[in-house]
Amino acid sequence: MAPPVTATSVPSSELPAAYEAAHVHEIYEHIAHHFSSTRYKPWPIIAAFLSSLEDGWIGLDSGTGNGKYLPLPVDRPGRLWTIGLDRSRNLLQIAKTAGEAEREVVWGDVLGYAWRHEIFDYAISIATIHHLATPERRKLAVKRLLSAVAPDHGRVLIYVWAVRQDEHSKRDIPTDPASTGSGQDVFVPWVMSDDKTQVFNRYYHMFEDGELASLATVAAEELGLIVGPPADAASLKGVEIRQNGWERSNHYVELRRWQT
Amino acid sequence: MVRLITHNLLACHVKGCTSNNFPLEFKDVQVVLRDSEFNPDFLRGFIPKIEWPALTGAARQLGDTSLPDQLPEMQDDDFLKVLHHVLLEIHVEEGTMICPNCKHNYPISNGIPNMLLAEHEIG
Repeated sequence: MAPPVTATSVPSSELPAAYEAAHVHEIYEHIAHHFSSTRYKPWPIIAAFLSSLEDGWIGLDSGTGNGKYLPLPVDRPGRLWTIGLDRSRNLLQIAKTAGEAEREVVWGDVLGYAWRHEIFDYAISIATIHHLATPERRKLAVKRLLSAVAPDHGRVLIYVWAVRQDEHSKRDIPTDPASTGSGQDVFVPWVMSDDKTQVFNRYYHMFEDGELASLATVAAEELGLIVGPPADAASLKGVEIRQNGWERSNHYVELRRWQT
Repeated sequence: MVRLITHNLLACHVKGCTSNNFPLEFKDVQVVLRDSEFNPDFLRGFIPKIEWPALTGAARQLGDTSLPDQLPEMQDDDFLKVLHHVLLEIHVEEGTMICPNCKHNYPISNGIPNMLLAEHEIG
């Protein structure tokens, strides 16, 4: 049986970047190969999102991990290009040949911005933002995604783990009653398959119901974007939340930028 | 992988480095050519996003002079095949990309560019 998920909190005395380095990045470097072997099946909503994109589009997969979304959509290979960004060099080494073809991958941080502004047509960030250790950093990550995509049509899909787990979940998420409404910081253990004595506790911020959409709303507003459907008036910029859901222990939002 | 499709999108993101920070200049590169499938529909959609002088300049730095100085109005299959080769078949495996403004070095190793910054360099 897997060891339990345990509640934690990020010490205020510690720099969040150093905390993430120790409790997220170093762990993924260690577990990259074993982790990758467990991550091969695309999630249906994410696959449907990628299938809905147009030929000729380019996108950013921010936190691509082993690159399992880079080959999608599989029925239109090479018609659009997703570039994978990740903090783990060992995972990128796997991602760069995801789906037995050569992919474009970049070693970088989701809080960085090493791109021409608003150049991508779409951006996805799957199971990544929940590894950032403060609300400010999670908000900045969403701002980076919104700023990465085209102001008149850019599309963004974000997935994070939820406090609310479905009935098939192997994880029991401890909740601190004091944290209601702002999610729960936890350590999720990773047990190496070849040596069960090796357990790595990864830091996660598990999202509360509504928390991801609120985060996206505040991030958009701080970028000067109106949150809602495209306006009638001219010369306005905004973001519409096209989907806001929960699926199998994850929260997700789909955002679409618009400009009039 | 650093192919010119990606190079045409990358910009320096060191704190305060916000102008003349594109395109990054290649230095000491090792280049490998590998065939990839030709997709004219992708190219037609991507062309409007290309910064053309940055692409032709970078291709020349990698020893390829096949692109015209100006994006041609007539984008027939012959042109698209040249563009496909430049964007998607030239792989920079090793080397460095240098910011034209602040001179920050972004190393490329085993085909993967390192765009990480030190904490004090992040904007």
